[in-house]
Amino acid sequence: MSGDRPTAAMRQVSWAWVGLIALAAAAILIPLMFGGVAQLNLLVLVLLYSSLAQAWNILGGFAGQVSLGNAAFFGIGAYTSTMMLIEWNLSPWLGMIAGAVLAAVFAVIIGYPVFRLGGHYFAIATIALGEIMLIMFANWGFVGGAVGLSIPFIRGEDRRPADSWLFMQFNLNREGYLIIGIALAALVTVIAILIQRSKIGYYLRAIKNDELAARTLGVNVLRYKLIAIVISAALTAMLGTFYAQYLLFIDPETTMRLELSVLIALVAILGGVGTVAGPLIGAAVLIPLSELTRSALGGAGNTLDLVLYGGLIIIISVFQPNGLVALTRRGGKGRSTALPTDRQEAMAEEAPLLGGGDGR
Amino acid sequence: MSALLEIHGLGKRFGGLAANRNISFDVNEGEVVGLIGPNGAGKTTLFNCISGFFPPSSGSVRFAGQDITGWPADRVLHAGLARTFQVVRTFPDMSVRDNVIVGAFARTRRLAEARTIADELLAVTGLEYLAAAMGNSLTIAEKKRLEITRALATQPRLLMLDEAMAGLNPLERAQAVELLRTIRGRNVTIVLVEHVMEVLMPISDQVVVLDSGAKIAEGPPATIVNDPAVIAAYLGGKYRPRLEATDS
Amino acid sequence: MDVLLQAIASGLLIGMVYALISVGLTLIFGLMEIVNFAHGEFLMLAMYAAFWGSLLFGLDPMVSLPATVLALAALGVLTYYGIIARILKAPMLAQIFATFGLGLLLRGLAQFFWTANFRTVPDSFLAGLFGGTVRVGAVSLGVPQIAAALLAGLAFAGLYLFIRHTRTGLALQAVAEDRGTAALMGINSDRMFALGWGLGAGCVGIAGAVLASFYYIYPSVGVLFALIAYIVVALGGFGSVPGALVAGLLVGLVEVVSPTLFGFSPAYKYAVVFGLYLVVVLIRPRGLFGQF
Repeated sequence: MSGDRPTAAMRQVSWAWVGLIALAAAAILIPLMFGGVAQLNLLVLVLLYSSLAQAWNILGGFAGQVSLGNAAFFGIGAYTSTMMLIEWNLSPWLGMIAGAVLAAVFAVIIGYPVFRLGGHYFAIATIALGEIMLIMFANWGFVGGAVGLSIPFIRGEDRRPADSWLFMQFNLNREGYLIIGIALAALVTVIAILIQRSKIGYYLRAIKNDELAARTLGVNVLRYKLIAIVISAALTAMLGTFYAQYLLFIDPETTMRLELSVLIALVAILGGVGTVAGPLIGAAVLIPLSELTRSALGGAGNTLDLVLYGGLIIIISVFQPNGLVALTRRGGKGRSTALPTDRQEAMAEEAPLLGGGDGR
Repeated sequence: MSALLEIHGLGKRFGGLAANRNISFDVNEGEVVGLIGPNGAGKTTLFNCISGFFPPSSGSVRFAGQDITGWPADRVLHAGLARTFQVVRTFPDMSVRDNVIVGAFARTRRLAEARTIADELLAVTGLEYLAAAMGNSLTIAEKKRLEITRALATQPRLLMLDEAMAGLNPLERAQAVELLRTIRGRNVTIVLVEHVMEVLMPISDQVVVLDSGAKIAEGPPATIVNDPAVIAAYLGGKYRPRLEATDS
Repeated sequence: MDVLLQAIASGLLIGMVYALISVGLTLIFGLMEIVNFAHGEFLMLAMYAAFWGSLLFGLDPMVSLPATVLALAALGVLTYYGIIARILKAPMLAQIFATFGLGLLLRGLAQFFWTANFRTVPDSFLAGLFGGTVRVGAVSLGVPQIAAALLAGLAFAGLYLFIRHTRTGLALQAVAEDRGTAALMGINSDRMFALGWGLGAGCVGIAGAVLASFYYIYPSVGVLFALIAYIVVALGGFGSVPGALVAGLLVGLVEVVSPTLFGFSPAYKYAVVFGLYLVVVLIRPRGLFGQF
């Protein structure tokens, strides 16, 4: 009987495969993609969104706290480093750290009240928070209001735009962005893996599975949720700084809008929530797809993005709640892990009757 | 020397309903104490008050000489008092081994050590062969066993089991009793809630009987089964006035 | 003082509309603990239905109101059978995102087919009634807003009576209370859920038809209204119909009165509303009228 049961070992194996395939694909694709600006842009975007989704995943996937306001942390990161750069001419690397700290503090301040709420409340509260941030920044003259902020070019001796590692700006050889993007993606992925294999990771999964049971096993639920949101927020803010330096322009709409929060979550969900491979797969599938519709349909592609995202979300939610990662498991076993509690209970009630002669 | 667990004058009200009234009893180190009473007697409420799910309205709970009244559940656990649930709460989307590892993390920060603790206990409770199975694929008997294993992994001094036998068939029940004996052999004190008396009697050193939220009797199993108040509680209120009259 | 009175009156009127938009949301949640994240897009579709009715057939939004309500109710029932019924047992994440996805899809389609342009219904009946405004003392109020508030009140009363005093309403309550027991009583919870979605979406239909009489219509018009509705529902307590009414009025009041009273830019009014929500859930995690 136990042979039919989905096992954790199966998961470990499929993850390893997914990781290997992703690595191999990257190893082949990256050299190929150095060809053009558009390809490089696409690659940077895939890295950015997979990292954002991975950071979201720590909170939304591991701990099961669905945030629809992660764009607020992204915006904090983008604005902190940009303001420090414009006002004090400080390196974005410092701004990146400052933004991460600020986002972490912000996360604790909001997490503390909001984490006492149940699932749906938390999701709505994060939407509200994201919107507050958007409104505040759009009306705050000091940070450029709705118009946004432009980051001045780094200029060389010849007064022409130049490259600078110190100021995280690459106007000539844009591969610099790719390297930073890869480094950040690696950082986020490593942190996710470390969390997954640590006490924190086990506790977050326990909280996601059953908060009450977790408490009886000594888990300080609020504390671990706060740890999750702090890590998620800090990493998201660091990526915000990177994004600001990549575009050299930020405004509240591009850095904090609700759609961004949704897209971040969608990438993780599409790939597979709560797994390290999921966000990578999700971004690798979704971002090129979305860029493709854009380039194929021109301006209309922007609106069809919504249709695409929406349609995908519905399909995944209804047919494959565990994301694309689950497809890599044998025979769609992943689905059985999504059994609702009440159905498990029903199964459990029947089990002694059915399993009486199971001959142990 | 004072008892491991001391319940003193404990009461719990939900609005106008008194679920527990002035309950006092002690649990000594190394004992198996049975807590029985008909449905609605307030056993689970008492459990919840002791294990920190909600604070009692009155009275105190002392554990290992420490006043733990009103402590949150996770703090109570770290003090050395673990519990299981009447309706099983295994982590459905985690493997059996991972379920136990979560418990083991109460005593260590290192995954390798937590794994060692978990594997050792899975062997003790006989769940090794299921270590890789997912929590939601178990039978109810297996889930109950897993919950006990998980609680043991937190290395408690006192383990409180809420209806560990309910819903089990006779064979599984015998196995569960066997498991309790094993646990006891590991120097873990046990408080056992059941509403079926027969299950408790052979393994309990002391029995506390609750009815309508209050303690009506306490003593070794042999005296409890002959206690008129207990018989009244189990047979129904109709017989109580008569029995109480003969009692006084 | 007059300014304040004016603000209070305006706040209460818009609050009634918020309440009406929110009640459908709270009804569905109370019934099955699912938040319809496509609620704003339902409202948007209702407004477009009124708009197209006016443009293509010359029907005033008030005339086409019954058709709008029916169409929305049908959309609600369809959503239930097409999506919701399939995810009732799914993890919460799937539940949240399924309707979220539907919202994005509907908004994207609206943008694609009807463009992102702002539309209005020209010369609507409500906007022209009594010259458009009424003065009561120093307070001047828009007729469409008053009518909207009145209609919202009527819809609320109707809904309340339906739930409390009809057999079907009682069956709805029974299912909300305990699916299993209701099933034992012979109540088909599936049909009750579908009815809940029909009713909830129907209420949005009324709100949409009314709003179309005096508000801009564009694909993302529902986003802000939906956000406010979530706040209202959470504030009032998920699943509480009276809670939605009180919280709707409260949100309307805060939104209009607070900039007047404290002298900050109206641009921040929604930030204040969201802030209010956070403060309330901090004190009462289950909302004003929420259970336990």
